[in-house]
Amino acid sequence: MRYNEKELQALSRQPAELAAELGMRGPKKGSVLKRRLVKLVVNFLFYFRTDEAEPVGALLLERCRVTQEEPSGFSISFLEDPERKYHFACCSEEQCQEWMGALRRASYEFMRRSLIFYRNEIQKMTGKDPLEQFGISEEARFKLGGLKA
Amino acid sequence: MGAMKLNERSVAHYALSDSPADHTGFLRTWGGPGTAPTPSGTGRRCWFVLKGNLLFSFESRESRAPLSLVVLEGCTVELAEAPVSEEFAFAICFDAPGVRPHLLAADGPAAQEAWVKALSRASFSYMRLVVRELESQLREARHSLALHRHSSWKATGSHRKPQAADRRSPGLENGYSPSKDCSSVDLVEERGSKPAGPGLAEWQGPASLYLDGRQSPAFPETSYFSTLHNWYGQEIMELRQRWLRRVWGSGPAREKQDGP
Repeated sequence: MRYNEKELQALSRQPAELAAELGMRGPKKGSVLKRRLVKLVVNFLFYFRTDEAEPVGALLLERCRVTQEEPSGFSISFLEDPERKYHFACCSEEQCQEWMGALRRASYEFMRRSLIFYRNEIQKMTGKDPLEQFGISEEARFKLGGLKA
Repeated sequence: MGAMKLNERSVAHYALSDSPADHTGFLRTWGGPGTAPTPSGTGRRCWFVLKGNLLFSFESRESRAPLSLVVLEGCTVELAEAPVSEEFAFAICFDAPGVRPHLLAADGPAAQEAWVKALSRASFSYMRLVVRELESQLREARHSLALHRHSSWKATGSHRKPQAADRRSPGLENGYSPSKDCSSVDLVEERGSKPAGPGLAEWQGPASLYLDGRQSPAFPETSYFSTLHNWYGQEIMELRQRWLRRVWGSGPAREKQDGP
C-alpha cells in the first residue's frame, strides 16, 4: 500500500495530545524494550528515537485494543491479530492510566460516536439540532437514532 | 534515513472492515508517490473510500487490498485544472513542504461537489472542534438547567438571581467512561442524568417549594426537553384557564377544547 511518508512526517510534528518518553517493545518475538519518544497526534501514535527529529514509525489507532499489562505498562494490539502486541512501559501507574485513557479516546470512530451522543443529548434538552449551525446536519456520518454499543 | 514504519497490515484491515465509510466513489487519480512528477494523460480510475481522515484507493470495488492511503490532516481541498482540460477535478493540497498536491477528478459536477465537501471536513481536527463545541453546549445547557432549578430553591422568591454556591450540575470532562476495548465503547450516561422516562411525578417536588404558578417546582436531575415542555405546557394551560374565566366573566370556567 502506497502512502506519503512526508504527510505523516509533517503530521508527527503537529501539537500532540500527549507526548512522553516511554519504554517500547515491538510485537516480534525477541524484541527488546527501547526508550522512545512517543507522541499521540490525532489518531496516530508516533514513536521517535529520543535524539531524532523524524519518527521511526507510526501506528494508526483505529480499532485498536489498549490493555493493561502491568501496573505501569500497557499494550496496543489490533483487531485482526489481538495477540500481536506493542508493549509500552511507563514510569508510574498514573502515567500508564493517563496514556491508556488517551489512546482509547484517540480514534476517529470514538469521536464520531461522541458527536452523535452529544448531538442527541442537546437535541433532547433544547429541541434544536446543534449541527445546523455547522451546515452538516444532513451528513450520514452524523446521523442520530439508536446508539449501538 | 530508513523508511518510516507504519502498521500497514492493520491499516489495510481497517480499510476493508465494516467500519463506516463517509464517502465512496470512482475518481481518476494522477498524483501520489511513485507516479510521474507532472500529471499527464487521463489518469487512473480507482475506487476511493473515505473513512474519517483516511482516504483509501482500490483498483476496484472488489479489491482485497488498498492501493494507497492519503491522510487528511493539515490539508485543504481546492478545485483544480486537471490535465487535458479535464473537468470536475480537484486537488488535496498540503501545507507541509515537499508534499505534492493529490490531483483527483470526479465523473460529474455533483460527485465533484460531494467529494470536495466530504474531504474538506474529513480531518480529525475538524471533528474534534465540533465535538468540543457540542460538549460545551451540552455543559451550558445542563448548567443553565441546574441554575434555573437552584434558583427555585430560594424561598425568598427572588428567582432572578441564582446563587453561585452549590452548583450541582455534573462536570462534563468526558461524557464517556472508557471501556477496556477501543472498538466497542460503552456509552455510560453521566452520574445524575436519568434515562428518559415519562413519569412526571418524580419531579413535582415538595409542596413547600411550590410557591406560586410561576416558580418551577424543584425537580431532580432530569434533563429532557420533553419533561420541561410538559411542565411549561401545564403552566400555560392554567394561565389560559384563568384568563378565560376573566374574559367570560362569572360564567362557568370551561376550557374550550377546540382551541387552535
